[in-house]
Amino acid sequence: MRTFEYKAPETIDEAVGLLKEAGGSARLLAGGTDLVVQMKERATRFPYPGTIVSLDRVSELRGVDFSDAGGLRIGAGATMTDVATHPAARERYAALAEGAGVVGSLQTMNMATIGGNVCNAAPSADTAPPLLVYEAEAVIVGPNGRRTLPIAEFFRGPGETALAPDELLAELRLPVPPAGTGAVYQRNTPRKQMDIAVVGVAVALTLSGDAIERARVALGAVAPTPLRARGAEAALQDQTANDETFAKAAEAAVQDSSPITDIRASAEYRRHLVSVMTARLLAEAANRAKGPA
Amino acid sequence: MAQDTKVRKGTGTDGNGHTAVGQRVTRLDGAAKVTGKTIYADDMKMPGMLHASILYAPHAHARIKSIDTAKARAVPGVYAVITAADLPHYNRNDSNRQGLIFPDKEVLFHGQPIAAVLSEDPHIAEEAVELIEAEFEPLPEVLDAVAAMEKDSPLVRQPLRDVDRSEARGHASVETEETEQQGEPSNIASSVPFERGDVATGFAEADVIIDRTWRSAMVHQSYIEPHSTIADCDVSGELRVWTSTQAPFHIRTELSQAFGLPENRIRITATEVGGGFGGKIYLTELMVAALAIAVRRPVKYIMSRKDDMIAATPAPSAHIELKTGMKRDGTLTALRARLIYDSGAFPGADMLPGCILIGGYYRCDNIDIKGYEVLTNKVSVGALRAPGAHNATFAIESHMDMMAKELGLDPLEVRLKNAVAEGDPMPNGQTYPAIGLRECLEAIAGSDVWQRRREVEAMPNRGVGLAVGGWLGGLQPASAIVCLNADGTVNVTVGSADITGTNTSFQQITAEVLNVPLDMVNVETGDTKTAPYAGMSAGSKTVYTVGRAVKKAAEDLRQQMFELAMKRLEVEPEDMEVANCQVQVKGAPDRAMTFKRFGKLSTNFGAPFPVIVGRGAITARKIAPGFSAQAADVEVDPDTGDVTLHGYAIAQDAGFAINPLSVEGQMQGGASQGIGIALWEEMQYDEHGRLLNPNLLDYRLPTSRDLPPIETIIVEVPSEEGPFGARIVGEPSIVAGAAAIGNAIDNAVGARVDEAPITPERLLRSMGKL
Amino acid sequence: MPKQLISLTVNGREREVAVEPHWTLLETVREALGLTGPKEGCGTGDCGACTMVVDGRIVTSCLMLAPQANGRDVTTIEGLQSNGSLDPVQQAFIDAGGLQCGFCIPGMIVAARNLLDDNPSPTLDQIRERLAGNLCRCTGYTKIYEAVELAAQRIRGSA
Repeated sequence: MRTFEYKAPETIDEAVGLLKEAGGSARLLAGGTDLVVQMKERATRFPYPGTIVSLDRVSELRGVDFSDAGGLRIGAGATMTDVATHPAARERYAALAEGAGVVGSLQTMNMATIGGNVCNAAPSADTAPPLLVYEAEAVIVGPNGRRTLPIAEFFRGPGETALAPDELLAELRLPVPPAGTGAVYQRNTPRKQMDIAVVGVAVALTLSGDAIERARVALGAVAPTPLRARGAEAALQDQTANDETFAKAAEAAVQDSSPITDIRASAEYRRHLVSVMTARLLAEAANRAKGPA
Repeated sequence: MAQDTKVRKGTGTDGNGHTAVGQRVTRLDGAAKVTGKTIYADDMKMPGMLHASILYAPHAHARIKSIDTAKARAVPGVYAVITAADLPHYNRNDSNRQGLIFPDKEVLFHGQPIAAVLSEDPHIAEEAVELIEAEFEPLPEVLDAVAAMEKDSPLVRQPLRDVDRSEARGHASVETEETEQQGEPSNIASSVPFERGDVATGFAEADVIIDRTWRSAMVHQSYIEPHSTIADCDVSGELRVWTSTQAPFHIRTELSQAFGLPENRIRITATEVGGGFGGKIYLTELMVAALAIAVRRPVKYIMSRKDDMIAATPAPSAHIELKTGMKRDGTLTALRARLIYDSGAFPGADMLPGCILIGGYYRCDNIDIKGYEVLTNKVSVGALRAPGAHNATFAIESHMDMMAKELGLDPLEVRLKNAVAEGDPMPNGQTYPAIGLRECLEAIAGSDVWQRRREVEAMPNRGVGLAVGGWLGGLQPASAIVCLNADGTVNVTVGSADITGTNTSFQQITAEVLNVPLDMVNVETGDTKTAPYAGMSAGSKTVYTVGRAVKKAAEDLRQQMFELAMKRLEVEPEDMEVANCQVQVKGAPDRAMTFKRFGKLSTNFGAPFPVIVGRGAITARKIAPGFSAQAADVEVDPDTGDVTLHGYAIAQDAGFAINPLSVEGQMQGGASQGIGIALWEEMQYDEHGRLLNPNLLDYRLPTSRDLPPIETIIVEVPSEEGPFGARIVGEPSIVAGAAAIGNAIDNAVGARVDEAPITPERLLRSMGKL
Repeated sequence: MPKQLISLTVNGREREVAVEPHWTLLETVREALGLTGPKEGCGTGDCGACTMVVDGRIVTSCLMLAPQANGRDVTTIEGLQSNGSLDPVQQAFIDAGGLQCGFCIPGMIVAARNLLDDNPSPTLDQIRERLAGNLCRCTGYTKIYEAVELAAQRIRGSA
């Protein structure tokens, strides 16, 4: 690996200051499971960093907590293991715990952070579809202060986010899902573990009886960014939760997607999986919505 | 959950009365391995050592116009930059992959090494490689082996001459040779025909005919330790090489020929091999030795995973056209095959065994087999555990199931009906010695997987399938030394690399012959300067040949002690035996001399006995083919095409399992590689012959979540020549996986995929769902 | 770049090492500290041969930069045995035949020990799931599962 300057700030503001100072030639390091790989392979989407700003010592960025008023607050530096094992995440944001829990080996989960997963902005990022269906907000800190952005506006392209070069993602905030909500995330991979998702689907359904009060569907690995499947959501809104509705929504989800053919799968196969998985997960989400909380 | 090995006896075997062989023994080197103390090549460092980083060609076929190393050489910390022009003299042979270090004119595959940067800091070397400026003129790229055979195809390279097939012979010894490229230059490096009877007649007799093309992808050995080599040639003029290899003596001979150095001035140490599987024979050693000679300092080269995936010697892809016919009663009547193996830019696709095995599992009066080794502008290939066999077996074993299905016959019965046995002819005219194919089929029937198949088949999208696989094995001479120490313990020295626990088997063999506890015997692999010759640890022949030599050496040691004891014990050697760590008179154990005593009497000052050193040297002329039968229990997700393996069983004929614990490990390991080949493993290239998945993320090895526990059944049909009847063990287990899983998938959902790996996408297409 | 001094605990010992920022923890342990047990099988976090425990959790040390190890508590394979005796997990791997070439083993045993520290009675599925980040090409994993179950039994038995 080519060398670089290494900085280890202790606060968010210090980190932001370092980013600003470096004028675009610095990169934030959290778990390293994406960035270090890219640096070793010279496959960064940006010029090779002259400065690495490690977030290891910024304790403000860690922590996962839940309150009935504020919902789930996740520090961007929380690891996948932190998120996947957090009781509130598992109970109330099951799709997010599922997404965090499949990111790779246990070793990867122990190192990778949710902030890193989101900011690396791979179309296949496993925490992204769940964050989308839970309508998370990204809390961004820059030299001029804080701003929040709906997660759906955070992803701009493969590897590209709404962050300016001197901004960092500090936190993700997920509102409390409405009562009667069931959500699930699943992805399709060739092996049972260790792969990048061929397709990822997250679904959150809020039911009142059998009526779909609210539907959120998000797709990963089938478009330049993880995205909400708005057509599928429209096909679900106010409909009856049954197989026929789910099948229609699944077809709509295929229309919402624009997968490419790459070494992992063909576009055709991905479209097929979007259809199959969306229908299945809608049924699962409905079950979860009806079942014990 | 611990697996019971059901040891099934074949004909004439005897597992009783043994004290050391036939026992489950833990590995000699276990403690070192579990504590991280075992030294692999990358764990070594030495004073003055330089790290090498290699520049690889970015084109599959190109003329080299220029290589400018000025910028790279100027980087602080760079010691040297070496291109073809800077290499020391060596006897270059451009026709052989290992005969050419760096090309100076023509690049033949993407990833071909063309220059090296040396630095004490590996990071600096890596960075400096990026600064080498090389210019190329692209040439036509020939990337498809079938198209490459056409008369009007562009040529991959200049015609071949003096092709060296010694490495291939180490994997499989068959009494046939391929016909090398002759006449008009073409991309066909070699070919072979096998014929018997008349296939037209055979097809005419058939009640069902299957005619299909089977393709299997290029796959990588994916040893977890990449190629790792250190070389040093200092002022003494002795060339020292420490390298992760299965074949130290082969390397010594090759380097001797390359540099014109006598073999006794070359010392090759086979460091502990972190996985070889046939892919660690001879690859980087010539280059690293040349670099060491050029700079007169030790040079270390550790291939990165990426470089190893791109530029080592993966196993060839194959395109196999197979037509088979069967009568209503299950008799195989005709078999016609055209096997095309893609050898990459240099010959080396070991195609003979595949061409023999495709027609070698079953009796058939009419066969017509044509094999071709074809060159393309891809990285050249090597062996992966039974080279060429899994490709051929995927084809024939799929056909057997397909024909059985059409005729309403049981897949196991139809195989038993046609299976070859001792005395049957192989397609190349050789005759099978005693083999255990039938016995393996009978044994797999007793496996948990096969026993529950009706129950499993009744469940939706679940199925069970079976297939056989085999390997003929290699033959090479071998030798061993067994020394009696001053305290009566014993040291065994062999020259074979211990890649499979073979040294532990040698400990057992020696302890058995001398009738002593295992810990009285220690075993070491010496280097080529200190150990007697052994052939490469490949072709599954290490226990089969070196084990025989060890047994002979131990017997020689024993006989020497008997003869030395004659005067003191006052009987002839035939009235003596070894027991209780002593030589004793049969029937009168109190008339004895302990090994300890022998040790003292042969080493002390003024000792009356000469040093007691047992010597064993053998040549192996008879193959002892190993077969296995495997069964898979799969579940198919009919909408995604995903396949889950719920159970797997393998029955394999080991002849005599010197160490059942170790034999089971070989069976499970090989089977897992066959399963990987069946479902996930594939090297993917773009339209310019560049590898798209040079990493362990997208080249998918099975993880623990993908592989359930694998049931093993050891069958024993003794070989004629192997020690205690042992036969080849290491390779047969990889061969049947693709077919067994393909057959199980067909049983589950009635769909047949004729391309391995059987990916979910390919499966969905064959089910008509995509 | 000038080296930085980092302080970390390795296998129970306080160590101070001068590191380049672009070194990984794996490289630092192997080259600067001479602990060559952990291996580099891929360098990209896909094989697990470099697995170490850092602050109680297993990581792929080939992706951790050396400066990130400052102040941390690291355990490698070399740290498992004590006073010349093998850890029960190490012994179980030998007894069950759960090793062949040995290259994956340092990482595999560290991961297995970490599993048993968290869960002394894992089911087969839990074992398989927990070890999925450690690739083995030699064994097909069967005897590794047996080794972990054997170790668990023995540890429970002597608890």
